[in-house]
Amino acid sequence: MADRRTFRLMLLILGLVFAFLYIPISVLVGLSFNAGGMPTAWTGFSLKWYGALFANQDILRAAGNTLIVGLVSAAISTVLGTLLAIGVEIRRRKGSVLETLIFAPMVIPDIVLAIALLSFFSLLDVRLGLHTVIMAHVVFNLAYVCAVVRARLKSFDWSIVEASTDLGASTLTTLRRVVLPVLAPAIIAGGLLAFTLSVDEFIIAFFTAGAQRASITLPMQIYGMIRFGVTPEINVLATLVIGFSLVTLALSQRLNRGGLPGQ
Amino acid sequence: MTTLLSLRHVEKHFGHVRAVNGVSLDIRQNEFFALLGASGSGKTTLLRMLAGFEALSGGQILLNGKDISHVPPNHRPVNLMFQSYALFPHMSVAQNIAYGLEMEKLPRTEIRQRVDEILATIQLSALASRKPEQLSGGQRQRVALARALVKRPQLLLLDEPLGALDKKLRGEMQLELKRIQHQFGITFIIVTHDQEEALVMADRIAILQHGELLQCAPPREVYEHPANRFAAEFIGVMNVIPVARDGAKLTAAEGSLIRADIPDGMGGDLVAAVRPERLRLDAHACENRLSGRILATAYHGLDLQVHIETPAMPKPLICRVTADAAEARSFRTGDVLSLGWSRADTRIFAA
Repeated sequence: MADRRTFRLMLLILGLVFAFLYIPISVLVGLSFNAGGMPTAWTGFSLKWYGALFANQDILRAAGNTLIVGLVSAAISTVLGTLLAIGVEIRRRKGSVLETLIFAPMVIPDIVLAIALLSFFSLLDVRLGLHTVIMAHVVFNLAYVCAVVRARLKSFDWSIVEASTDLGASTLTTLRRVVLPVLAPAIIAGGLLAFTLSVDEFIIAFFTAGAQRASITLPMQIYGMIRFGVTPEINVLATLVIGFSLVTLALSQRLNRGGLPGQ
Repeated sequence: MTTLLSLRHVEKHFGHVRAVNGVSLDIRQNEFFALLGASGSGKTTLLRMLAGFEALSGGQILLNGKDISHVPPNHRPVNLMFQSYALFPHMSVAQNIAYGLEMEKLPRTEIRQRVDEILATIQLSALASRKPEQLSGGQRQRVALARALVKRPQLLLLDEPLGALDKKLRGEMQLELKRIQHQFGITFIIVTHDQEEALVMADRIAILQHGELLQCAPPREVYEHPANRFAAEFIGVMNVIPVARDGAKLTAAEGSLIRADIPDGMGGDLVAAVRPERLRLDAHACENRLSGRILATAYHGLDLQVHIETPAMPKPLICRVTADAAEARSFRTGDVLSLGWSRADTRIFAA
């Protein structure tokens, strides 16, 4: 307890940092309830912009598209990423080249990945649409799921796999009853992470969605709307997305207690 | 006694390394058998081959006369208790134990009955619903044992089962394991690097070195009549005295005569060996004698170890003096001490 004043100063700094982080967000949340709809003046509490948002067909369709892309790409990348992580861990003696290759999509700039995927799809003459967005999202989500599951595998005791075999289980039974349950928290956390990454991903979706309106995702829709100024509907949309993300984040942290490195 | 398990010239090569080199053994029904060796002796590899986790590079493993060399581990009537215990962390104690029985697709009621029975045997009924992380080391060890035993295998393999326990608990569990083995009437093969553990528990001990079988015999014979110098020095403490041979006459380096029975056909350089507890203070009454200066003494509670420097040996001669004898006279560093031992307690090995 050397210094009460130092401690107070530290609290102040902490408060400022949090204010810097969260004031813009709370302004946005506040404005979503502003009756007048203008960011310049508060004219009373209202939910009318929420109503307006749910009447906007374009936004609803974009939200639906984002949900589809998020769920499908998260599901595919969770299955593949988990299998990849287990496979790599079993053959980890083969060296780090494989590892670098797996994690490359995490560090390659999104814009590069986006251009690469677009060129790839046009080279193969694939018609662009929601399915190409899903495929593109699987590419980078795979790396994230794999990273989360591998972190868990680092502390995985492989002798339980042998113990299961020794007690009479087949390989498939061992996978189902021993390996997957032990890895489950990491797998679910990886899936949730993939979903959230996919939901707010813009650049790659923008490049691989094609020109038709039917395959516009939510971030693309917002980008399109914001070019004509920040409308109150966007504030509402952003508020809903924040709420959704917080719930997912809390869920993921709860499930993955002790799963990620450093937790 | 019928033979349960036969190893015929079993080989395991990892690249150029021969981890197990032509081991042949017969293990009897209901035997408590110990594979003893230093690390790298191939004892764990041999055990893993019996469990089915390592393929044989040569030879055969027969169980009840049937070749099981190529039977996968999940189809062998053999269970392994892992050194790390390998309990399933997401299952309770009862679920861990039931797992092997569920794999046999037994009816639920029978599974529950057998799990309850074995929980009572290992005195863990009260902890049936705990997770492994909520158990102490000794409790985990017993759950691992129960999980393997509940399947009633014909052969139970135990990989350093007491290695993770503290010394006092280890002593209790040695007797407990013997009791359980007797109660269940299952053949146990235990791998250990702890020679004392092997002596206490096993009916027979196999000593392995560099993947080869050196000796296979009951504990007393292994201790009293080691097959060679390595086995003699590996088990317990052995004083080794280099000797020069002239016909049937053996002399130590400083000139004293060593009387001993030389095994037939033994040639080349020889050593005489005697256990520390066979050395006696009344040297004048003994057939063999050595004297030297006391280098150090080490108090062990039930006896006193006296290290004596003698010109006859490169290493100090070690003698164990019982507690009463140690009280009867003083052993000060630097004192000259004469020790004797009988011809019958002297072993002769190739150097």
